[in-house]
Amino acid sequence: MSDFLASYTALIDHLTATPIAAIAITLLAFFLGNAIFQKMGRPTWCPGILIAALIVVLILILLRIDYVQYQEGARWIILLLGPATVALGVPLFQQIHHIRALWKPILFTLPLAAIMAALYAILLAWLAGAPPELLASFAPKSVTAPIAIGITEQLGGSIPILMGGLLVTGVMATLWVNLLGRWLKIEDHRILGFALGINGHAIGTVRAFEISPTAGAFASLGMGLTGVFTALFLPLVWILMGM
Amino acid sequence: MNVIKGFLYLLGFLLLGDVVVTLLGLPISAGVIGMLLLTGWLLVRGRMHDDIAAISQPLITLLAMLIMPGVVGVFFVLGDYSQYWLAALLALVLGTLLSVLTTLWLMSRMMPRQPKQDQADE
Repeated sequence: MSDFLASYTALIDHLTATPIAAIAITLLAFFLGNAIFQKMGRPTWCPGILIAALIVVLILILLRIDYVQYQEGARWIILLLGPATVALGVPLFQQIHHIRALWKPILFTLPLAAIMAALYAILLAWLAGAPPELLASFAPKSVTAPIAIGITEQLGGSIPILMGGLLVTGVMATLWVNLLGRWLKIEDHRILGFALGINGHAIGTVRAFEISPTAGAFASLGMGLTGVFTALFLPLVWILMGM
Repeated sequence: MNVIKGFLYLLGFLLLGDVVVTLLGLPISAGVIGMLLLTGWLLVRGRMHDDIAAISQPLITLLAMLIMPGVVGVFFVLGDYSQYWLAALLALVLGTLLSVLTTLWLMSRMMPRQPKQDQADE
């Protein structure tokens, strides 16, 4: 038995010496997670990315692969985030006519809304005694993941904690926009879409496209602008706070 | 072939972003600057670039997969941070409630009324 275990461990070590196994596990979990997500009827409370991540965790535990070994190989996938972030310039360009038409309300509301989204999180976490590393992980919680990862790296936060925070924030933003929108009797799809994109990044934007194409377009716009604006102002806040 | 050519453009803008960030000592990620440079270039150009569009659409569709390995990490570091559960709860649940409320309030005050749609005033 211990012989078998030893040769099995050697085999796993051999297979994880290159990034191929980690990439295959990631792709497999992504497609499986997506299929399960569709079967469940695309629930907003459980994003497909969470299901896929849980499948990776399950595979790692079952095959006794060390998380650090997996992460080493998965770096090759994460490396593509750089060009993918640049690619976000394409939808930003395509929506520029919305920005031109509504530049005044956007200029007056979006920067303030994006600042408050970050400040509420920083302040509440700070009051509850969170260390600077945690504040840096929660600050970009409303920003779309590829940009948020860059911000958290700059601020010295933990990427895994940021990713967890992003998931919870996306789900909560969808829930709150739904409840508060009804309570405040807001029926303008542009406002609901904007609120979903600014606060709930990609998860909120997916929900906005379910409301209407107009809500979806404004959510993508809100998400993109929040990401850009937060990436510019948060590092300055950190310098000013001397962290 | 177009996809690869488009990818080269994306890498070019990413590297250009890195050059700008490094030379100016900006505290911003190279990807964000690259994205802004690409948007600016498309604006100057006045129309979409087909090769870049051909790679951007699939790459954006795959964003969730590129991010997913990062999400996996949460389950392995959660134990190290369990003492800060209250901070996480407050920041993520209450913080998001407050920021959604702020956004909805600001937007409903500033957004011009939509033509031909009856709405109740607040």
